[in-house]
Amino acid sequence: MSAWSFYISTLVVYFGVDLLSGVALNLQYGYAGVVNLAFIVFQAFGAYIAAATTLGPDTGAGAFQKYIFGAHLPFPLPLILATLGGAALAGVVGLFSLRRMRRDYQGAILLIVSLIAAEIVTADVPMFNGSNGLTGVPKPLASLGLGLQAYQWSYAVWSLVIAFAVYAGVRWLSRSPWGAALRAMRDQEVAAGAIGLNITVLRMQAFVIGGAIGGLSGGLLVQYIGAWSPGAWGYAETFVIFTAMFVGGLGNYRGVALGILLVPIIFLEIPQFLPQIGYPGLIDSLEWILIGVLWMLSLYFRPQGLVPERKNIAVGSPLIPMGEGTRLASLAGGITGRAR
Amino acid sequence: MLSTLLSAVAFGVVLASIIAIAAMGFTIQFGLTNVLNLSYGGVMTIGGYVAYLAVAHGISAWYGLVLGAAAGAVATLVIGHGLLRRFAARGTKVFEMMMVTLGLGLVIDYTLQAISHNNISQFTVLQSAPLHLGPVTLTPTQVIITAVGLAIFIGLEALLRLTRIGKALRAMASDPSLARACGIKTSRIVVFTWLLSGALCGLAGVVYIINAQSIGYTTGELFLPLVIAAAILGGAGSPSGAILAALLMGIVTQVFSAYGNASYSTAAGFGILVIVLLTRPSAVLSKGENEELALS
Repeated sequence: MSAWSFYISTLVVYFGVDLLSGVALNLQYGYAGVVNLAFIVFQAFGAYIAAATTLGPDTGAGAFQKYIFGAHLPFPLPLILATLGGAALAGVVGLFSLRRMRRDYQGAILLIVSLIAAEIVTADVPMFNGSNGLTGVPKPLASLGLGLQAYQWSYAVWSLVIAFAVYAGVRWLSRSPWGAALRAMRDQEVAAGAIGLNITVLRMQAFVIGGAIGGLSGGLLVQYIGAWSPGAWGYAETFVIFTAMFVGGLGNYRGVALGILLVPIIFLEIPQFLPQIGYPGLIDSLEWILIGVLWMLSLYFRPQGLVPERKNIAVGSPLIPMGEGTRLASLAGGITGRAR
Repeated sequence: MLSTLLSAVAFGVVLASIIAIAAMGFTIQFGLTNVLNLSYGGVMTIGGYVAYLAVAHGISAWYGLVLGAAAGAVATLVIGHGLLRRFAARGTKVFEMMMVTLGLGLVIDYTLQAISHNNISQFTVLQSAPLHLGPVTLTPTQVIITAVGLAIFIGLEALLRLTRIGKALRAMASDPSLARACGIKTSRIVVFTWLLSGALCGLAGVVYIINAQSIGYTTGELFLPLVIAAAILGGAGSPSGAILAALLMGIVTQVFSAYGNASYSTAAGFGILVIVLLTRPSAVLSKGENEELALS
């Protein structure tokens, strides 16, 4: 198998995983207005669950890695458990972080959740083997006996199928009345509450769905790369997806897909082809610095992204007489509009 | 048994002093400018590194404190006055400003990672015989840290209550446009606040690494949860609130690690904020979302 074929198929898998993250964050932030700066924690939790339920039980004191939830489950089950785990964790975190509070407080609290989660998993070794993490996660369906090239591309297609199925599902949800309600809540929380939307429930629903997708993306990733440790899910990883979303455009799925292609795939892969400079690891640091700069630049120059969300305001349309109801609806961010 | 508890409480007070120095700087700046400054952890690490380099080059740790505070003040002034003011001038709002400081924190952290080659440096300063205060054994360093925390609290309260600039600062924190109308030069107050908050931030970084005896590029970021939780819990702009919240968090954290699982001690401190959010959400609703930034 040529190195290029291997490399490109790996990038396709990463694109699928990152697209899932982008879709989940766009639902949470772009639609529901929840600043989930702890997104990577949900992906990490899904990855740990999928890893532990594939690896089999850790056999007591002699085992070379320690973890909970150890089991030998057949192929699709670990992914499903990862999805459910992400959703359950989102339910727990959502309990306290989705309270009515200033959005900058909410962002800070979720960032803290991300920092503390990494600290706990690193320090509490019996949970998921501490800073060494879990390794040797078996490949799913290895019994089929596919050759390396066939396996690589099968997994790439598999991850794309999952990613686009979720993409289509979430886009459908966002275009539904439920999605309109989310945008109404995001833009005018008080007005949305006044027209009878249950703000707490709506926000929790979006958060839990996003958490489930996060868990799924983690499961998909860990079954491909076969290892997972706290180094893979530092708080900064969430920023890559946020930056992609800012670059592409908030509340807009095509924009997010474009951003995912531009930032985590093209932008972060280019350094692979540059000559090594400085000591090993310097390029990694520089990449993160560039992500931070890109993040600030996009907030400075184009807070609405490359492909801005279409405004859906039906005020004064000849078909809909301009009554108090439509005025309220338009205040609430375009109840009558459609998402792209 | 009792002596374990007393020791844990004493360590908690030491930790609380470090949290409080940082949280007071954070809350003063937050209360005045309304910027939830998440680059604060990065600036703490900058202060720590400056002091570490000074000590490594044979300069006394006392000068290290001063140098760390100065580095923090300069860095924060550049961030606040040089950068965030430009964002505000372009119409960046309260929430987006927090996102800007988050990106900035990322840049600072990874610049430090690049400079430090991702090493964690160990060192010891101010080591001498431990003091026995009844059942509690503390190092002189820990006593000094607590004294520094207390001195800063008293100094800050005196500054805010007794001096002209302190009164102007409080006036501006409660109503910037009214303060401006009364002839207070608000842009000077903002510059002063960035400097003050930055100095406390840098100082907290130095004190933290002296206590922990190691420094790495994530040092400030890992300490930030307790600082922000204390500042939010104590109420924006209130040094005494920050002190009380810091005491609560410091003691709970240390008692938890004495009796429970030390891996979860930071989480236990943060747990207090979670409990408050669940039971009294109005405690963190002190200011409205549409509040304006006050950066000039």
